[in-house]
Amino acid sequence: MIRSVLKKLAEIIIILVVLSFFVFVLLYIAPGDPAEKRLTSQGIVVTKQVLDAERERLGLLKPFLVRYGEWLFSVIKGDFGVSFKDDMPVAPKLYKGLVNTCILAFSSLMLSLSLSFTLGVASAVKKDGIFDHIVRIFSFVANSLPNFLISVLLMYFFCIKLDIFPVIAAGDLQGLVMPVLSLAIPMTGRFTRQIRAEILNRMNEDYVTGMKGRGVKNRYIILNVVRNSLGHIFTIVALQIGTLMGGSVVIETIFRWPGIGKLVMDSISARDYPVIMGFVLIMGAIYVVVNSLSDVLDRTLDPRISE
Amino acid sequence: MKEKTILNVKDLSAAYEDAEVLSSVNLSLKKGEMLCIVGESGSGKSTLLRTVCGDAQIKVKNGCVIYGDRDITKLKSCERQKVLGTKIGYIQQNPWGAFNPLRPYSIQFRETLKSHKKKYDAEKIAELFSILGLKDPESILKSRPYEMSGGMNQRIAIAASFILGPELLLCDEITSALDVTTASAVTDELLKLKKETEVTIVMVTHNIGIAANIADRIAIMYKGQIVECGERDKIINAPEHEYTKRLLADVPQLEY
Amino acid sequence: MIVFAAAVIIMTLFAGVFAPNDPYKTSATVIRTAPCADYPFGTDNLGRCVFSRVLYGGRTTIAATFFLVFVSFAIGTVIGMVCGYYGGIADRIFMRIADITLGFPQMVVAIAVAGILGAGMKGAMIALGITMWISFARLARSHTYSIKNEAYVKTVLFTGKSDFYIIMVHIFPNLMGPVLTNALTQIGTTMIGLSGLSFLGLGIIPPTAEWGSMISEARAYIQIAPWSVFYPAAATIITIIIFNYLGDVVMDYREAG
Repeated sequence: MIRSVLKKLAEIIIILVVLSFFVFVLLYIAPGDPAEKRLTSQGIVVTKQVLDAERERLGLLKPFLVRYGEWLFSVIKGDFGVSFKDDMPVAPKLYKGLVNTCILAFSSLMLSLSLSFTLGVASAVKKDGIFDHIVRIFSFVANSLPNFLISVLLMYFFCIKLDIFPVIAAGDLQGLVMPVLSLAIPMTGRFTRQIRAEILNRMNEDYVTGMKGRGVKNRYIILNVVRNSLGHIFTIVALQIGTLMGGSVVIETIFRWPGIGKLVMDSISARDYPVIMGFVLIMGAIYVVVNSLSDVLDRTLDPRISE
Repeated sequence: MKEKTILNVKDLSAAYEDAEVLSSVNLSLKKGEMLCIVGESGSGKSTLLRTVCGDAQIKVKNGCVIYGDRDITKLKSCERQKVLGTKIGYIQQNPWGAFNPLRPYSIQFRETLKSHKKKYDAEKIAELFSILGLKDPESILKSRPYEMSGGMNQRIAIAASFILGPELLLCDEITSALDVTTASAVTDELLKLKKETEVTIVMVTHNIGIAANIADRIAIMYKGQIVECGERDKIINAPEHEYTKRLLADVPQLEY
Repeated sequence: MIVFAAAVIIMTLFAGVFAPNDPYKTSATVIRTAPCADYPFGTDNLGRCVFSRVLYGGRTTIAATFFLVFVSFAIGTVIGMVCGYYGGIADRIFMRIADITLGFPQMVVAIAVAGILGAGMKGAMIALGITMWISFARLARSHTYSIKNEAYVKTVLFTGKSDFYIIMVHIFPNLMGPVLTNALTQIGTTMIGLSGLSFLGLGIIPPTAEWGSMISEARAYIQIAPWSVFYPAAATIITIIIFNYLGDVVMDYREAG
């Protein structure tokens, strides 16, 4: 157990180092000179003299690996450099955005998990009934809806036509409703389908027949099946974290939710590299850590899964 | 001697989706007897047991199974749940097929008993365990099925069936997945339990040798039909049907 | 559903025949006209015909999707077959990479690529392709592995046929079924991804007609001209549903048979 956790930990660290190297290389091969970009984005007239001084100041004249090492070291300390746009440190902006993104992502994840868990289990138990058919149609359609479309349509009907919710999510509770729904609807569709399939699959295991043969009540049988699928359901959820992150970038941009996704979209047009690099690193790290955790959890819940 | 019939299979035909597996099976069970159903794989012997248990995948085309004045193939699922376990027990071939492999036995015993509104009685479980040759019941109850051997699991499955005190126990090749010595030990223990409780047992097996050892009566199944059924000695010593003769001729003999 | 799918493909493939107007011709006199005989879906902010733009936009989306799925399919299948057939260290390294990248946030990759190389269809395709080929490779690998270990393939090996012969004659045709099914199910997902990236301005660059970017542009004046959002939205939803449904049907059919 401890050995496998340590192994996982080592794996996470290796992946993160590779990821950081990848991000750094991307910046390195990016067309144009960072010093020049930085100066132009601040509106300074570029001359040879200014440019050389700027390069020296940014440490661009050092060898590649030294620069990577220095950058990685400062990132580990939590310093993501300064923004090209306003010379302010990037880290506080990223963290602030990250907190808001987490609020959004976590709320929609909870909403869609609780919904899809109930729907998925219920429709699997009552397979081929009316309820199952309704759930299947709902989850199929919801899964086919791109979240940007849902948010545009929700915005039109609820914010403009009915005027119930504000168009711009100011970061308060009321502003959270529309973005959360936009993220949660397609995710609920996806989870419901996967959870239903998982439960149905596990209903076919031999021990279910055995329990029925002893006249064990259906309620207990379902509880046993659900308990055994939990590990796998966590994995399903963890694999969707990537989609959730992507979705939150879209939703934050549409509703102007002050999260990390909106921050990075604003930075792309400005070519504000430190923000983009920080975003990619943080998102990659979250993805890798969440998936490793779900893997460990899956193995703890079902010790039969061997290496 | 007039014996009470507890289960009566009348002219039963059943099918999985399209393929007919049982065709006009007739069989009656006397209280307290041990009946062995012998046949090759695909002969429909397991399907017969599953039909009695009410497997949802099997469609009854014709006939009925009478148990206590009722056709139990037509029970609603909640009524069936009450009959299964306390009246009719069922144990299957897969030794890991009785319990959820990931949860301790004790919890699963509790769930089984609670389903029939019975109290969890540690002493009674310990008693059953000792007849079945299971030592240290407490530590066994704390462990989980996936950690245990097949023989252990099958013994505990038998215990779980007997704790409900069924009138009739259906055993579907319960020793086939075990190695030879374990299999005969489990069979002996099952016979010991049968003596104490006077339960009626239907044992499905493909091995006529086992049937010759333990059965009171033997039914031979072939291609979805019962071709011959009678007292053990009559079937073993004076078989009538061609297939029974072939089965008996194929029993391997030890040569010295 | 196949009929619907064919209809969508034909309508968009021959957009030039069906489109009543030039999708790029702006006209100051017919700005934001409601749907009428001349403009069945109305016009947008620049007086362009929404119906024609939906048809041409469909061509962009569907062509890009098919291209991307095909390239991922080709690359993934080849790599998967090679890994599954030969095994060894390369295979193990590949499996590790596949495990990690399987659900890696496409949007994050897209943002990294777009942020550094600039927005464009190329970046969007790279971002989506980087995770998609993995699903093909995994599938091809596991099937190759099991086919390779089947008795008849082993028998063929003893007759001295080359590895290439075995892969092409015995393995490739046998894994086409599952891999093509995967390709079909990926179409819907890819459309969602591509139009989402275009919506954000990370994919197609306007004025090229594309559903995601049309919706994004028209969103600003949705109150005045809702039709310029609704029609491309409806086209997107219907197309995705058609392809997802086809994918489901084929998947169920394969599982049942």
